[in-house]
Amino acid sequence: MSFDPQPYNVLLALGHWLAVFGSCLGIAFFVAFMTGVASGRAGAVIGAVTSSFSDFFSTSCRRIGAVALLTFQESKRRKALYVFFVFAALFMFAGWFLSNPSNRPELQAKSYIVFVLTAISWLILPVMLLLSCWGVPEDIRLRSLHTVVTKPIRRHEIVLGRMVGYISVGTIVLLLMGVIGYVWIFRQIPDEAKPSLVARVPVYGTLTFINREGKQGSGVNVGDIWDFRSYVEGATKARAVWTFDDVSEQRVGDQMVLETKFEAFRTHKGNMEKGLLARFIFVNPVKNISLPGKPFEVKEYQDATLVIDRKMTEVDEQTGELKSFDLFNDLVYTDPEDGGNKLRVEVQCLDAGQYLGMARPDLFIRLADRPFAVSFSKSVLGIWLMMCMIVMLGVSVSCFVKGPVATLAVFTFLIIGQGMREFMGRVVTGQEHGSGLVESIYRLVYHLNPTVEIDDSAATKVMFGIDQIFKKLLWLVQHIIPDFGVFRMSPYVANGFDVSWEAAMVPCLLITLGYALPCLLIGYYTLRFRELEAK
Amino acid sequence: MSQENVIEIKNLSKIYRDFWGRPKVQALKSLSLDVHKGEVFGLLGPNGSGKTTTMKLLLGLLFPSSGEISVLGKPAVDVDKNEKIGYLPEESYLYRFLNADETLDFYGRLFNMSKAQRVERSNQLIESVGLQHARRRQLKEYSKGMTRRIGLAQALINNPDLVLLDEPTSGLDPLGTKDMKDLILKLKDEGKTVVMCSHLLADVEDVCDRIAILYQGELKTLGRVDQLLESHEETNIRTSQLSPEAIKDVEAALAKHNASVKRVDHPRTTLEELFLKTVEESQARPGQRYVPPEQGAEAKTTEQPVASK
Ligand SMILES: Nc1ncnc2c1ncn2[C@@H]1O[C@H](COP(=O)(O)OP(=O)(O)O)[C@@H](O)[C@H]1O
Ligand SMILES: [Mg+2]
Repeated sequence: MSFDPQPYNVLLALGHWLAVFGSCLGIAFFVAFMTGVASGRAGAVIGAVTSSFSDFFSTSCRRIGAVALLTFQESKRRKALYVFFVFAALFMFAGWFLSNPSNRPELQAKSYIVFVLTAISWLILPVMLLLSCWGVPEDIRLRSLHTVVTKPIRRHEIVLGRMVGYISVGTIVLLLMGVIGYVWIFRQIPDEAKPSLVARVPVYGTLTFINREGKQGSGVNVGDIWDFRSYVEGATKARAVWTFDDVSEQRVGDQMVLETKFEAFRTHKGNMEKGLLARFIFVNPVKNISLPGKPFEVKEYQDATLVIDRKMTEVDEQTGELKSFDLFNDLVYTDPEDGGNKLRVEVQCLDAGQYLGMARPDLFIRLADRPFAVSFSKSVLGIWLMMCMIVMLGVSVSCFVKGPVATLAVFTFLIIGQGMREFMGRVVTGQEHGSGLVESIYRLVYHLNPTVEIDDSAATKVMFGIDQIFKKLLWLVQHIIPDFGVFRMSPYVANGFDVSWEAAMVPCLLITLGYALPCLLIGYYTLRFRELEAK
Repeated sequence: MSQENVIEIKNLSKIYRDFWGRPKVQALKSLSLDVHKGEVFGLLGPNGSGKTTTMKLLLGLLFPSSGEISVLGKPAVDVDKNEKIGYLPEESYLYRFLNADETLDFYGRLFNMSKAQRVERSNQLIESVGLQHARRRQLKEYSKGMTRRIGLAQALINNPDLVLLDEPTSGLDPLGTKDMKDLILKLKDEGKTVVMCSHLLADVEDVCDRIAILYQGELKTLGRVDQLLESHEETNIRTSQLSPEAIKDVEAALAKHNASVKRVDHPRTTLEELFLKTVEESQARPGQRYVPPEQGAEAKTTEQPVASK
């Protein structure tokens, strides 16, 4: 379970956006200008670009509204809203298959939540994809667009109106589905699973390890199926060190709740009745305080919730005195480097010969819970944003190709954007061995496997040089295709977390905004520079 | 000429190309003509002669292969000019899922008209095209003639200065045709310019001030209808039904005056004759093209070799 939300780097993303958008715009203008020069009408190209500014300045909301309303009526009369009834029908019977009383309560809750959110997105996204990819081409085929464009409407108003129209259709359906889904979850879910319907608000820290000699190092790899978690050895100096940022009284309150999800790895059976013993040590490196907490048991497959009181006491081993500490005054320290209020929590395994596995999200400070409705609606908002993306892509692509092609293109975007971006990223950064285009052909021809080194010669230099260009292009493709993975927020909700702003909502919003302008421009220019005859 | 030109077309050619850019059809060959302000101009021609193509080029729906167009003093692709233009397409390309009211409301919005203006204007137009009884029915239930009427209403929603009508009377019943003609004349009285194209000659003859005849993308004849139809070579005498003996008598009488009977048949509209003559001549002599008259001289059709473009 590698659920590990990472904060989104807004500035980096903005930089990428500018780079990609700028280079595409540059390439497009260059190509247009060169064809203009070739046909002796360079002035016309420049004129078209400048006149498009005046088009954008004379945007009228009423005209956009007219097309949006038209789109809405069209979808309604095309019975697109019937998808909602499919949804309703699905829900009447789904309860039979989902209930599984033998499961742990949170898993039961999870299956209901995942089902509802998946059903919503699987029903609404394909319908919106088809609607948005067919609208404009049909308009051109039936020539109804002829009557429209001979009115003073600007081409971008048509594109925008279409987008707004489809998005409002989708919004209505999505809202209905969301409300029904929410009510349905509450009514169908078994009573014992109801407490799992929460939106926990976690504060994650950074994780480093101290090895068995007590030095800064990494955790042990126990050869478990993956390297998501690292392990600390019991009864040694090995520790996992979490540092939480921005810990304050206002944020945390009088009692700090720490939630853990450690994994036990036993090298010998030990006491199978009991879990492994572990304990927290609160460390203030500035004041040199090291305060161990009470040992607690780490049970398999169970989250442990520990409530830490603000006031803590410790008996001094030498003097026998009772010393008391205040969480915020004594243990939280100001980092001399960045001036943040930090809390350092070290975790130690107490059973000799046993290992405790941890990853960054395995320990977090749990702030006051939010209602389940909050995380649920945020994740519906995620689906909504994804729907907006699909509509925008669909409308703009369908301005220059026919319906089936547009559908296929957006669908391809969707597939690649869900899963292939990561692989492309590895190719681009050179992590994937032997992945250059010319290089891999060379390797195929000479039967070299990807790990064999290729001799350094002038020819291979040229080969790698060419591959570098292809990799640049691939970088562009990778960044043109939207990262649809970000829009999936159901893991948050299903695992009982609030959907994080930094790691999920902000990226989704920014990605959607980032695609809005390019999509609009593509639609605008294609509608302006193509003859609206069905080809 | 002193008139103000609403439309100016210079050497306009249009070649339809396929997806790969290969030429398919040359629909217009070096067409030049002007339309004056306040006149009713008729584009005539057999099917496929390029009338619709010309209209679409005027509206910026198609881009010319060469040549220049100016409409209301602006280039054809300029969107602003549409504020003052009304267009009735060849077939009413409207949204079939809307009803008449919604249709007019939609196009009214595209002209940025306020709600009150839209309601007033659409009531007025629906009444004038006679669709009051069907205003709440979806257009897909409309007959051809009804679609034509709502199409016309749509074209007039913005009270345009220039109205382009592509085959306005096609699909209309005789009554509807008459209404349409009356409406065109009314528009003319209001000082608007109307350009219509048609292959129905009677319609054109009744309403048009000037006509152009196109044949296979070439302009064959251009001029005022009354001038074009004025003929000094023949005299038409229309009588009641004559018996064969009576016809012989008449022929004898004519022979006395050195005249002969060319044809005895039922009368035709003269425009029909002109049209057929033009088409027949074009078929016989493909190279022939209309040349604009010298200042003051009368327009005529001359033979001239056409540089193949
Ligand atoms: N979209 C098109 N693609 C290819 N050829 C076309 C297209 N539209 C019209 N044409 C051709 O152009 C010529 C003129 O057509 P059109 O202007 O519609 O004639 P009209 O309106 O006078 O009947 C015809 O030969 C027609 O086949
Ligand atoms: Mg036509």
